[in-house]
Amino acid sequence: MPITSASARLAGLLLSLAVPLAVLLQAPAAAQPQPEFFDVPYAPGQWNIGRRFDESQLRYCIDKRDPDWEMAGDIADTIAAGLLLEPQRYVVESEMVLEDITKLYGVMLKHCDIHMGFKLIPEGYPAWVILSRPYYETEYVFVTADPEVTSLADLAPGHPIAATVGTMAHIRLVAYQSALPADRRWPTYPMGSNERALATLLDGTADVALVWAPSLWAMQREDPAYADLHVIDPRPLPAITLGVGAIFLSNESFLRAAVDEAIAALVADGTIEAILEKYAFPATARP
Amino acid sequence: MATHYGRVTLFATTAIAAGLFATQLAAQDNPIDAVTPVTDEMLLNPPDGDWLMWRRTYNGWGYSPLDQINKDNVKDLKLAWAWGMSPGGRTQETPLVHDGVMYIQNSSHLIQALDAASGDLIWEYQYTLPDEVDPNGERSKAIYDDKLIIATRDAHLIALDTKTGQLVWDKQVANYKHGFAFSSGPLVANGVIVQGMTSCSNAQPGGCFFTGHDVNTGEELWRVHTIARGDTPEGNSWNGVPLESRHGGSAWITGSYDPEQNLVFAGVGQVYPWNVEIAGLTPPSADPNVTNEALYTNSTLAIDPTTGELKWYHQYLPTDSLDLDYVYERMLIDLPFEGETRKQVVTTGKIGIIESLDRNTGEWLWAKETVPQNVVLSIDEETGAKEINPEVIPVIGQTTFNCPADPGGRAWQATAYSPRTEALYLPTVEFCSNTTVNPLDPGQIYTGGGLQTYSRVPLPDGDGNIGQVRAVKLTDQSDMWMYRQYPPITSSTLPTGGGVVFAGSLDRKFMAFDDETGEMLWSSGKLDNALESFPITYEADGKQYVAIVASWASGLGRLASLTPDVKLPPDNPHTLYVFALPD
Repeated sequence: MPITSASARLAGLLLSLAVPLAVLLQAPAAAQPQPEFFDVPYAPGQWNIGRRFDESQLRYCIDKRDPDWEMAGDIADTIAAGLLLEPQRYVVESEMVLEDITKLYGVMLKHCDIHMGFKLIPEGYPAWVILSRPYYETEYVFVTADPEVTSLADLAPGHPIAATVGTMAHIRLVAYQSALPADRRWPTYPMGSNERALATLLDGTADVALVWAPSLWAMQREDPAYADLHVIDPRPLPAITLGVGAIFLSNESFLRAAVDEAIAALVADGTIEAILEKYAFPATARP
Repeated sequence: MATHYGRVTLFATTAIAAGLFATQLAAQDNPIDAVTPVTDEMLLNPPDGDWLMWRRTYNGWGYSPLDQINKDNVKDLKLAWAWGMSPGGRTQETPLVHDGVMYIQNSSHLIQALDAASGDLIWEYQYTLPDEVDPNGERSKAIYDDKLIIATRDAHLIALDTKTGQLVWDKQVANYKHGFAFSSGPLVANGVIVQGMTSCSNAQPGGCFFTGHDVNTGEELWRVHTIARGDTPEGNSWNGVPLESRHGGSAWITGSYDPEQNLVFAGVGQVYPWNVEIAGLTPPSADPNVTNEALYTNSTLAIDPTTGELKWYHQYLPTDSLDLDYVYERMLIDLPFEGETRKQVVTTGKIGIIESLDRNTGEWLWAKETVPQNVVLSIDEETGAKEINPEVIPVIGQTTFNCPADPGGRAWQATAYSPRTEALYLPTVEFCSNTTVNPLDPGQIYTGGGLQTYSRVPLPDGDGNIGQVRAVKLTDQSDMWMYRQYPPITSSTLPTGGGVVFAGSLDRKFMAFDDETGEMLWSSGKLDNALESFPITYEADGKQYVAIVASWASGLGRLASLTPDVKLPPDNPHTLYVFALPD
């Protein structure tokens, strides 16, 4: 894997981390003791998963179901290069529509030290997971097919909004509406996924959708039917921005520190911003 | 793959069908040779020594008339044999026994037939789950004619030959990639397989369903959706959100059957996600034609198993916001009510309130509280309508306090009814929760949870005894007795004709109580894991046995956080234990 000039500069900084990191990577991952119910991860055959042999690699996972999976792979490759590790990519190919997060335990035990593509939601993770710092920030967006609507304030009361269920933005919208008189509200339809929320704009079920910006980006790249959808100003609600980073099993704190340093350096020198621009991805890399 | 084991004579046959390989070993003196077809008459009146369905009889009592083990001799109970089950995942197993053969389903979906007297393996069949589906067990299964009928975690129904373990048919009911799964098994009613679907979460709008299937082919005959739809009062009970926005209504517990009416009674779980603001059920719509009770969640459905017609329903807890299902076992009991005997269907929801309906009409009759709770302030004595404490309804931006917490004052561990004492025996727990609304979409795919987190805490002013076995006399709804202990009671109760009630607990003990006084008459030594399953009793070679599967299976084991000193093995072993009196 070639090392970029920016990563080459980073290499000196992180070279001292590489040897102890390589030692730590030999340790097999383990769950927290005495976990609580759904926090208890389980991987089929987990008792037979032994220690890894090749400590010169940064094993990372990306998931084809994530809208940014290709770009996340590029970012992970760059992080690995910065750490003087050989990137070892594992692409999750599952067709399951949704998964419980405990499923990641087995995936990570078997295939990767870090898994790309997770939102930095406070209190949003079980104790057996730790997160990196964000490598980009993006937002939830209000989207419509109606050219007359340029902000949420333009949407007349009674016109429905289809929101991807349970996101921070959905919760914020529901809380805002609960403070409004009944005749000023927009009916809010919880949708099981960003894709389902966006589809309501095409079939007329809703007038506005509230979705994760990368999902809109992916849908517009894949399907011309979504090309005319446009993002509107969220006011009177504030923009909801979230960082996106990688997750580790919780015993990988040293690796996390190293990856965090790498991300910080790659953000600072513009490497990650360049990757975002390459994909025209709706996100920013902030120091 | 089916493999058949015998004792003396060996021959092998192979069969390749749909990727299956079968090896069969014939046997002499093997109980499998004496296994008879299970008839409708047997299901209506099971032999005393058999356990032919989840709760043994169509009325859902979970009671056995066997009395060889009784109050006087239960103290002598000893381990007869044990059988290690597949590790991994969870199991909440109910073994079935017919003609001296026991049938079990391992979490890995290895189905096995054992000699119920000796514990020797007779045959086994490995159902292969997709890699994407974690191995977990099912709570129950069914036997009909010469078929063992199994539900799977990837939403298939399969039928195996009871004598050989060979696959007879395999029917996919729904697409597991959309989250559909079975966690409980079927009931065969009037010759039709009735099966409930679960895990209908955000991946698949429109909710779950019951299906009826042909016993000979698995072909689907009918489907009843658990989320009402269409321009009807029931269909308009979702606050105006479209069908694509309605989730939940899991049918995750096997129902009961009334042959007189040809009706199956089964429960439906709650709305998903749990928080009603997030689910779009509140604030209430201003549309006068729209309501928000979210039918048919938290209801009893009365379904004709022959046609799939929904005859009536009763909803116990509309607009539930606390994951407090009313989905559990339905018991068909004829009891006095206001001076006359009424044919009733009795169930107990997670709140721990026992409730009864007239099973002919669906009329609500009575309720009886058990565990301490702060969710229901009052119940209308005529209709059963509940006044919900507004302070416990989770609100975005606040933490609320509710008792019980989400596992329930009773969980999936079934209650049981004894005609000897006319009492209902309930495994219950006392505890509460600090509940907070949370976003739970950390990944694009890895979303989940009900959008609320429950921090489980002890009952304020409680005595520290989290677990109880309660006996309630159903003829007058009076308390008969209560056994209390610190660890949660984690198994179903099993009353018998011998006057004992068996139950297991988180701290690995299997116990027997006097059914009239609650006195503990026997306790096993510590077994290898928590006892979270459905104990049964049966007869083989003229001898009574009591069986229970040890496993940590997520139900009341969730309260392990309240009992950190109750240690369990880290690899969650699953073991079938069988007890009997010494010869």
